[in-house]
Amino acid sequence: MKQKSPPGIVKQQLALDAYLQTLLDDVPEADASVEAEASPPVKASPVTSVARQPARIFVEALPPAALIAEPKVAKPQTVSPVTALAAVENPAKLQALSVMPEWSQYEFQALFFKVDQLILATPLVELSRTIKMDRKPSQIPGQPSWFLGLVDEHDCRIGVLDTNQLIFGKSRARVRNLEDSPASRILITQDKRWGLICDEILSIGKIKPDGVRWRTARQKKPWLIGTVIDELTAIVDVKQLVPHRK
Amino acid sequence: MSEDRKQGDPVMQWVTFCLGDEKYGINVMQVQEVLRITEIAPVPGAPSYVLGIINLRGNVVTVIDTRNRFGLPSKETDDASRVVIIETDRHIIGILVDSVAEVVEMRASEIETAPNVGNEESSKYIQGVTSRDNQLLILVDLNKFLSDDEKAELDMF
Repeated sequence: MKQKSPPGIVKQQLALDAYLQTLLDDVPEADASVEAEASPPVKASPVTSVARQPARIFVEALPPAALIAEPKVAKPQTVSPVTALAAVENPAKLQALSVMPEWSQYEFQALFFKVDQLILATPLVELSRTIKMDRKPSQIPGQPSWFLGLVDEHDCRIGVLDTNQLIFGKSRARVRNLEDSPASRILITQDKRWGLICDEILSIGKIKPDGVRWRTARQKKPWLIGTVIDELTAIVDVKQLVPHRK
Repeated sequence: MSEDRKQGDPVMQWVTFCLGDEKYGINVMQVQEVLRITEIAPVPGAPSYVLGIINLRGNVVTVIDTRNRFGLPSKETDDASRVVIIETDRHIIGILVDSVAEVVEMRASEIETAPNVGNEESSKYIQGVTSRDNQLLILVDLNKFLSDDEKAELDMF
């Protein structure tokens, strides 16, 4: 790990951070509210800050590439010791760049599944189980269209969510009528409170951190944590996709 | 029952009714009577959730389209349809439902808060949920079924 960084790189990183911050600040208020409705607020935990585990994933101290199918090594992202150093000067910036769940630090098992025509992956540690969608959820009046209703399963009352709408938003997603096009399975979250519908469960595979292009600044779409480089499959941070149950 | 109250877990009675595939419950103390479907006279200019008015023994009672209120598609009335006459904050209104099922007893501890992920306002009348005979029962707080403005508007019919 580098002990010192050339001042030029520091400036470059600061400029990049500033640019990123400008982009994020420029999000219109209306868009932000739509986003807030379509996707739940960011939950900061569990987090492992870059400050505590500096650049374990993103810097040249990456583990040797021993990925599943020899994936190309991810191009290091903008988070580096230099960034961490710069971020110390601006605590708000540090938070924006360092919110990464612990599972993303190591090789993890992921479930690959299909929602409509889209293939997604999510770490197994964020799920408790999957169940067959063999009944229609009980609809609760006055809820958003992406909240499909409740299903009782093994003494748990699971809120069933339309994954497609959560990901694409109501305007772009095909609003699913469960009677006309029933989903195949429900992915139950680790806390057994939410279920994400999917059309097909494809496989379980191992993903190594350096085979992923991680999104470290995730104020928008915080659930999209990265992309598996080989398969170009989006990795979904389920904890950030589901709402916070009131 | 008094023993239950002492333990802080009172038993309440709920009248259950159906709308589509879902079953709902309302506090039995607020139900005055259950009527078979009768002629409902439409009211010009009424909000979409108001079906119209009925004459109940000389009193004009506004009938609410519960399906509309709950965001469900409308349905033709049939032999099972009922108008449940309820009292909410000194207002007497009728709610049209697909059918009335039964009266069930339930302990307060059996009721779980329904997850509310949307606008607080849009679902404030959902008091909670519970399971009954392997089916989810959605409990409705009739006092919050209509807003104060809406109740005032109904008085004008």
